[in-house]
Amino acid sequence: MGLPGEIKRRIQVLLHREQFESDLEEEMRLHLELRRQRQIDRGLSVEAATRAAYIKFGNKTRIKEKSVMAWGSETLESFLSDIAYGARALLRSPALTLVALISLALGIGANTAIFSLLDAVLLRSLPVKDPQQLVLLGQGQASGIGENFVMTELYSYPFYRQLQQKNAVFSDVAAIFSMTNDVHGFVFNSVGSSSADSELMHVNLVSGTYFPMLGVHAEIGRTLTEADDNSEGDHPVVVLSNHFWKRVLASDPNVLNRKIKLGTTIFTIVGVAPAEFFGTRVGQSPDMWVPISMMRFVPPGYDFYKQNFVESMNVMGRLKPGVSLEQASTNVNLLLQQIVRGFPDANLSEKNLAKLAKTHVALTPMSKGLSWLRGEFSEPLQLLMVVVALVLLIACANIANLLLARATARARELAVRQALGARRSRLIRQLLTESLLLALVGGGLGIGFAMVANGFLLRMVSEGPDILPLDVGLNMRLLGFTFAVTLATAILFGTIPAFRATRLHLIDSLKDGRGPSGVRSRNPLAKLLVVSQVALSLVLMVGAVLFLRSLNNLNHIDPGFNRENVLRLQIETDELGYKDDDPRLTALYQQIESRVSTLPGVKAESFSAFTFHEGSWSDNIFVPGMPNDEGVTVHQNVVGNGYFDTMQIPLIAGRTFSTTDTATSQRVAVISEHVAKTLFPPGNLIGRHFGLGDNKLENDFEIIGIVKDVKFQNLKEQQENINYLSYVQHPWGFGDFEVRYTGDFRDVSTSVQQAIKGINHNVRISHVTTLDEQVARTMTNQRLVAQLSTFFGMLAVFLSAIGIYGLMSYVVSCRTNEIGIRMALGAARFNVSWLVMREILLLVAIGIAIGVPVALAGDRLVANMLFGLKGTDALSLAAAVLLLLVVASVAGYIPARRASQVDPMEALRYE
Amino acid sequence: MSRDEIPPGTLYLLILKTLAVRKKLHGYEIAESIEQQSEEILQVEEGSLYPALQRMLIKGWVLAEWGTTAGNRRARYYTLTPDGKKQLALELKKFERVMGAVAKVIQTA
Repeated sequence: MGLPGEIKRRIQVLLHREQFESDLEEEMRLHLELRRQRQIDRGLSVEAATRAAYIKFGNKTRIKEKSVMAWGSETLESFLSDIAYGARALLRSPALTLVALISLALGIGANTAIFSLLDAVLLRSLPVKDPQQLVLLGQGQASGIGENFVMTELYSYPFYRQLQQKNAVFSDVAAIFSMTNDVHGFVFNSVGSSSADSELMHVNLVSGTYFPMLGVHAEIGRTLTEADDNSEGDHPVVVLSNHFWKRVLASDPNVLNRKIKLGTTIFTIVGVAPAEFFGTRVGQSPDMWVPISMMRFVPPGYDFYKQNFVESMNVMGRLKPGVSLEQASTNVNLLLQQIVRGFPDANLSEKNLAKLAKTHVALTPMSKGLSWLRGEFSEPLQLLMVVVALVLLIACANIANLLLARATARARELAVRQALGARRSRLIRQLLTESLLLALVGGGLGIGFAMVANGFLLRMVSEGPDILPLDVGLNMRLLGFTFAVTLATAILFGTIPAFRATRLHLIDSLKDGRGPSGVRSRNPLAKLLVVSQVALSLVLMVGAVLFLRSLNNLNHIDPGFNRENVLRLQIETDELGYKDDDPRLTALYQQIESRVSTLPGVKAESFSAFTFHEGSWSDNIFVPGMPNDEGVTVHQNVVGNGYFDTMQIPLIAGRTFSTTDTATSQRVAVISEHVAKTLFPPGNLIGRHFGLGDNKLENDFEIIGIVKDVKFQNLKEQQENINYLSYVQHPWGFGDFEVRYTGDFRDVSTSVQQAIKGINHNVRISHVTTLDEQVARTMTNQRLVAQLSTFFGMLAVFLSAIGIYGLMSYVVSCRTNEIGIRMALGAARFNVSWLVMREILLLVAIGIAIGVPVALAGDRLVANMLFGLKGTDALSLAAAVLLLLVVASVAGYIPARRASQVDPMEALRYE
Repeated sequence: MSRDEIPPGTLYLLILKTLAVRKKLHGYEIAESIEQQSEEILQVEEGSLYPALQRMLIKGWVLAEWGTTAGNRRARYYTLTPDGKKQLALELKKFERVMGAVAKVIQTA
């Protein structure tokens, strides 16, 4: 009945609040006066009449309050005044407020930061149309180039074409070259001239179906289409990533008129991808996409477009509506058999057919895209998420403790207010508002902290000098998550003290100046919080110690080469336009080596295909007279004559490569100790021959030396098989250049780069770093875990120390009376301190007693993330316990000392 | 003389009825009127009129306007709206139903 009218009237009240209040006031005053007059008329004295009028009227303030409530806006009003009052109350104890805010900010900020990284790496779906329909052939575990009869992770381009035509389960299929091509290129301006310097660009080759299949539309121009990929070599078009367009082309709106030169070919820019689209590989966003048809023209110029048996593509499909993963898998596996057998150049040997018959492709849902990051960081990130959640728990316990202590200290104030007629619900709301305010401000600070921490974290997980292209910005989901945490904290921990504080026996509180006696001697909730803080901190500390020691173990692994004092850089020769086997390229390498060797501070130098953790080229070797196991692969490294001196890999027998090994002399090899021991019969191996790869005649090698084993891919690996070849005999197109130096890194680095540029200005130099740095990068994930768990462990201990300090200060201030009496009766200062310390140590001891088994149980869960340690050992545990004891004692000693300095007279006179 | 509190829930009814009969009153007059009409048996905690009046204003059952009293004082006068009249009928019906029920219980007892 008349609801719109009612709302109108309520709003009216809200807008003209003061008018309404003064009207009410006047009305009530009139009432009282008329009533008084009436009583006077009846013959009462003025005082009696006034009194009677008031009695008959009732509690004026209460009535006014009730009337105001009828307007319905009082909730808002009182909320605002609660906030103002709460802010004042919080500012009255700035130290406590600051500690609470910092705890919350760190707790919430750390959670948000870790969660946003976790979200970006593990949880977020690709920003494409219906990502849940996307599936990948294989498991996304491999990238590179294979030359096999059949593979399940990577596929050839002709295979993709066949699958596209023959399958019955996908609405569309796309192929993506499994690596990005790092190319030095130029962007031309609209007039057609190029800027001065070339720049490194990450190019991803994709099939024409890539964008249509993903349902990604261009922001400017168009994306690639099937028409760009239907014939080889004549579609020089490129779609730019939004980021590249912004960064390099300054968001030029006329971008479609501009061209890009990659290697020696000029490409037309046909479109710009939308900002949110970073490709399909999380943590690796290309600068541009080029159709696979142009593969040969994008350096290094692979020639696999028509190769049936060179596997280098990830193949992805979009399931037709209603098709299940099982149906798709059946269809794909059936087609795999047909397609591979059907290639005209298929080598249908018995062995290959047997291998094919056993091959089964697993289809993997691709809604979140491909990522090597996921494999590496999913465990550490999940672990860190647990760690920061525990830290948040500790922070919350701290805040609960502080609020609790505060509310108890304010018991008297609350009792007075209750006695004056404040409703209990009103007081609870007041306290809740205060904690809510605290939580919201803390949450706000936390978000700020998270934004800073995000960038920091991203730098920590990025292996190389380049920051990973991950979008870890705060999204709405994260904000929601953070706020849920914040509010839950406020409500939970604001309510407990609020209820406790108002559930008082008023008379007791008013009688006792120092707060209610029930709370004075026992404060079980606060103690419980401190005990759990200590227990949690111990768990985190033990974890931190373990991870630190694990990192240390890893750091002390001998890689077999000398990590120190080696400069390494990468040389790219795309722009020279030489083929990989061009003798001019080999000559250039030799020229660079000999020029650099004359520089001051250079002790040895060499080119190599790989140094450490740079992928690998693996192949089989065939040893006459030995059983040939195809499963055993051997890493092949192509190196210069100075390689073993540069890396300081010790020679065990024979010799290393020298100038006598030329392009025309007998092809020679240096093998690693492990190869010698496991793949050859015992005896002297120098001078023995073996076959490499397809075991053709030109791939016959003679062993000239045996060297010590080295780590090749990562520090944790066991002895690997490595075979070294000389680049003079086995030309290699691009590569690493290492220099062992003495003196200052920067000086040597500058003079080496100048020397290279002096020989050929068109050689591009990139990735300048040290070998030590390169090795250290492979420990990124262990370092991340060790550093962050240490940080959070320390934070946890710090927060707990504050918790202990807060509780004990409060206890001491509550017991001042008692302490005063004890001292008046002759207790020694030491005994008084001990009284307080005893309580703290008891709490800490209980916390440790609970924490130790929890830590032991928890560490079993992380055992596989530890290196060279078997779970918790006594040393780590003892270190953590000791640290915690020391910190807790210091935190407790300050209030204990204060207790001992209580002046008995002062204490007793108070009140 | 013993005085009785107003039965709960009947304050609206009393105010509405009073205004229906006397057309235009200010707060004090309403209180006086109720007491007089009930021959001083019903005692209103006079202040409680005001929250009730405010609620009724918001609901749109009464209108308020400022005027002057016989003694030339400014006072806020309340009158019934059409909605208020409807509400009075509703409240009356409710009251009769309750009273009828109470009466039945007493009689059979």
